[in-house]
Amino acid sequence: MGISVGILAVAMVIFMIEAPPLLKQKKKKELWVFSILLLFGVGVSIAEGLQVNIPNPLDAITLIYKPLHDWILNILK
Amino acid sequence: MLENGKIGVRQFTVLVIIFTIGSSILVAPAGLASVAKQDAWIAAIFGVGVSMFFVWLYNSLGKQFPNRTLAEYSEQILGKWVGKMVSLLFVSYFFILAALLLREIGDFMTTQVMPETPIQSILIIFLGIVLMGTRLGLEPLIRASEIFFPWIIGLLFFLVIALTPEIEFRKMEPILEEGMKPVLRATFPFLGLPFLELVVFLMIFPYVNRTKEAEKAFFIGTLIGGIILILVTMLTIFVLGSDFAARQLYPSYVLAKKINIADFLQRVEAIMAGIWFLTIFFKLTICFYASALGLAQTLKLSDYRVLTFPLGMILVVLSLVVSPHIVHFQTFIKEIWTPYSLTYGLFFPLILLGVAAIRKKYGNDTKTEPEKIQS
Repeated sequence: MGISVGILAVAMVIFMIEAPPLLKQKKKKELWVFSILLLFGVGVSIAEGLQVNIPNPLDAITLIYKPLHDWILNILK
Repeated sequence: MLENGKIGVRQFTVLVIIFTIGSSILVAPAGLASVAKQDAWIAAIFGVGVSMFFVWLYNSLGKQFPNRTLAEYSEQILGKWVGKMVSLLFVSYFFILAALLLREIGDFMTTQVMPETPIQSILIIFLGIVLMGTRLGLEPLIRASEIFFPWIIGLLFFLVIALTPEIEFRKMEPILEEGMKPVLRATFPFLGLPFLELVVFLMIFPYVNRTKEAEKAFFIGTLIGGIILILVTMLTIFVLGSDFAARQLYPSYVLAKKINIADFLQRVEAIMAGIWFLTIFFKLTICFYASALGLAQTLKLSDYRVLTFPLGMILVVLSLVVSPHIVHFQTFIKEIWTPYSLTYGLFFPLILLGVAAIRKKYGNDTKTEPEKIQS
């Protein structure tokens, strides 16, 4: 619980620093991208803080590139 | 442009050297020694030789678009949607690289220096300075690298001098005991660890003052960095022996523990850690900077700085998630990292170069920008 509150507080501070200048300059696109990324960041941070199992992107990479690695190793054997 | 910084040619050389030795200086000797045994240094020389081809490839791509970054011209070459896809893939590559580097720092600190500190706190603190460097921009970062460079070289010099009495040349025998195959097999992961990652510099290349000399600087920087890596690998083999070196996670760190000058100057391995922290900081910051800048340019944002904080948050989580434990991490680096890097360090640049050449020949809408007038 404490972790989630902490992460939200950090996210609030980041938002307070970055968002007002963007709003003032009417940079809508920047604000959107920033907010989406921040929301995503908060989401995964809380998930990690609560020890939810987050899928590991490296597993997908391993799945794709393992055959290539085996093939190259086979050549050099 | 999103970034107005300008880099001198010498500064670029320094940055390439630091990038090449960053992280690899501590990790590469183990990977080399575990496969090639006492011939690890030959494998290192091969690796540096092949890397010259990569640098040539990046140079020939970079000089076609002297004012644009990778993210900008991939869109120009491949068209809007495919180009955006490719630059987002590149961003993901830089970002994963940054996460792995951050994790490497965390793993090193928690296994060697501060075993009782939770890894998260180390990651967050280190990320703090990385964010600071990224937000300040390219120019301050590179000036900082220029300030730290003499220290890195000086410390390395001290390390080499202090270890000279410990060298036993018979540890390099027998040379090529099992023929060339193990040497080539060891060269392969070594290509991926520092040299294919140099593709990041295509995001920085356009900010170098004089493109012509920047190409030379790229070569020289990679070569010097490579020679330092060869030297460290040689030292590891000649001082520790291949068996012992291969069993270590961080052989060059163990190497520094061997320093013993008149039973007085001992346990100076913090020097090695110092070199490593300095170099990996710059490497990590460049990768993080490249991913933030690349993302901003792909999405046509006016500033990359707004993305740094959210990306930083995601980076910490990603570097925690990437591997459940250090063995998984090491296997990934050894087996999967090089094929994965080949896609971005070799395959995509070749495609970009090929398509650009075809477009140029048949005079499509792609115009190469005229070279900037230099003072």
